[in-house]
Amino acid sequence: MFFYYLDLAWRSIKKTPLLSLLMVLAISIGIGITITTLNVYQLMSENPAGDRSDKLHGVQLWSQGKDAWKEFNGQVTYQDAYNLRKSDVPVRQTAMFVTGLALQTEDPDFSPLLESVRVTDSDFFEMFSVPFLYGKAWDKGVDTEAMYQVVINEDLNKQLFSGENSIGKTLYLDRKPYQIVGVTKAWSPSPLYYDVTTGAFKDSAKLFVPFSLAPIEEYQSWGNNQSWKREPINNYSQRLSSEMHWIQYWVEVQDDKQRDEYAEWLTRYVEQQQLIGRFESPEAAAKVSNVEQWLKINEVVPEDNKILVGLSVLFLLVCLVNMLGLLLAKFLKRAPEVGVRRAIGASRAQIFSQHMVEVGLIGFGGGLLGLLWAWGSLSMLSAHFDLEAALTQLDLTMWIVAPSIAIFAALIAGVYPAWRICSTNPSAHLKSQ
Amino acid sequence: MLSMKNISKVFKTDLVETHALRDFNLEVKEGEFVAVTGPSGSGKTTFLNIAGLLEGFTHGDYFLDGVNISNLSDNKSATIRNEKIGFIFQGFNLIPDLNLAENVEVPLRYRGFNSAERKRRVQHALEQVGLAARMKHLPSQLSGGQQQRVAIARALAGEPRFLLADEPTGNLDSMMARQVMELLEEINRAGTTIIMVTHDAELARRAQRNIQIVDGQVCDFTMYQHGAVADKPHLVAGDKRAVEPSSVEAEEATS
Repeated sequence: MFFYYLDLAWRSIKKTPLLSLLMVLAISIGIGITITTLNVYQLMSENPAGDRSDKLHGVQLWSQGKDAWKEFNGQVTYQDAYNLRKSDVPVRQTAMFVTGLALQTEDPDFSPLLESVRVTDSDFFEMFSVPFLYGKAWDKGVDTEAMYQVVINEDLNKQLFSGENSIGKTLYLDRKPYQIVGVTKAWSPSPLYYDVTTGAFKDSAKLFVPFSLAPIEEYQSWGNNQSWKREPINNYSQRLSSEMHWIQYWVEVQDDKQRDEYAEWLTRYVEQQQLIGRFESPEAAAKVSNVEQWLKINEVVPEDNKILVGLSVLFLLVCLVNMLGLLLAKFLKRAPEVGVRRAIGASRAQIFSQHMVEVGLIGFGGGLLGLLWAWGSLSMLSAHFDLEAALTQLDLTMWIVAPSIAIFAALIAGVYPAWRICSTNPSAHLKSQ
Repeated sequence: MLSMKNISKVFKTDLVETHALRDFNLEVKEGEFVAVTGPSGSGKTTFLNIAGLLEGFTHGDYFLDGVNISNLSDNKSATIRNEKIGFIFQGFNLIPDLNLAENVEVPLRYRGFNSAERKRRVQHALEQVGLAARMKHLPSQLSGGQQQRVAIARALAGEPRFLLADEPTGNLDSMMARQVMELLEEINRAGTTIIMVTHDAELARRAQRNIQIVDGQVCDFTMYQHGAVADKPHLVAGDKRAVEPSSVEAEEATS
């Protein structure tokens, strides 16, 4: 019967094109706005680590003094990063920060570029599932015995080497030669969860260099640098030994047991630091958070965004009330035909189903048109407000979510009109035809 | 086949109660062709609606084909309407957006027949009324008489045991009316029980039995039109003496 109802619905829509269009428009505008806000919300709140979310953990240390900030900081000091790297509990671990370096090639005609570069350990690539086009990460030995090696991304490889295999070639960063050991495929998790300190919605770096080079090359931090203590930082050595928080630290554990084991290791580390008088606060502690928790702690999705989604849903409700009125008018006009159908054997349930299928079809149309509205709104937001591209692309799931929400919402709006029409007394209209 | 005992139907509003039927008693046997007459507002249509399970009743007992109709669920009523009853209306009541075949097919859809069976029955029903060649036409492309024949085909497609006709010739000229009546007689001869509400005395006379309804009550029976005839009718509730249709007509004219 479903296809019969679908056929009747399509005929009915064609019979009253203007009224049907009004209903489709009403629901599509509501859906368009809802999907726009939902799309932004979803892209913001997505957990890009997927099933590795519970294995990857951001590390936080309450290393600040008594009178400093009263919460865990998202970054650690270089001293702590240096010490944490000595733990053999995690499967993998990496310290990292972002710097900026002038990029040159061996081509004398190439104009230098200023590029942001992620300074990190070799484990970074496996931990965050970075796919490689050519080569691989530098060897683990480079994390302790520094070497001038670099991993670049596909875009940069195209720009510099026309996309050819560039492994073994040399790049100059701040005039120092670096050997290319790996070219990553296009990869940019959104949000950029492993470093949310300067905004979670930005592209990943185009270049990666070993963390072990930091004390040698004295890379400056292009990220957040937070100090709680008044201390002289006049040179790089002082920066490295300072209490400034500027390094992100992540570990990968196999399971919850290993996570607990690592948490215990961190507790012992904190106690040790307290003993030597470095961690002054009695609240000194350590914390590990998986990706899901990390996104919450860092408030990657602002509260305002949730309110906006709520408001757009309210707007959708207003559209549905409008649709309900139009449906009621349309269905009640059909009472004589329904009377005939009832007389010749249709049950109330069949009449109800017939009309709900029509409502669903209108909702489906509204959902598709709503997607176009959403796509237009996101493009407009992108063009006029200079938002990150990661936030203004229409997520693929929305092609299923939008029609589903539209059909569901339309069905809710259609329940009352469909119930009214199936409840009318058929005999009341049989004489009047 | 149809048995109504002490049926009453009361329409209530805040201010007034209207007794459309009161102590209504009727027995219709299988294969009968019964004409129901009566003045406007007497309760003929209410009777037909109750008989066709389109309306409930306030008191009494109604058995159709042995099934007690009191307190039937909507689904059950719809199934009985679909399987056992065919309706023919004065205004034809064809669905204007559907072509003839699709109109005739509607009750078969609700009955759950497969496509081949529906096609076969539609073809057969339209052939019975002589409109098989026009099955792709829309109702608006037909004359009133042809539309009524399509309505009859729709009623027949489900092979009902019981046909309810509410002034089936009311919107037709006399020639068309005669043709429709002949069709109904043919259907009746094939075994279908027919109850027909009509204002047309001539048509009523062609039925096997006449019932007159006055003020919501069965007034008189004519037991087999062509059989014994009694004297002038007395319009008293429950009076079961036979009466000639011409007398009914006379009474109707004076009411």
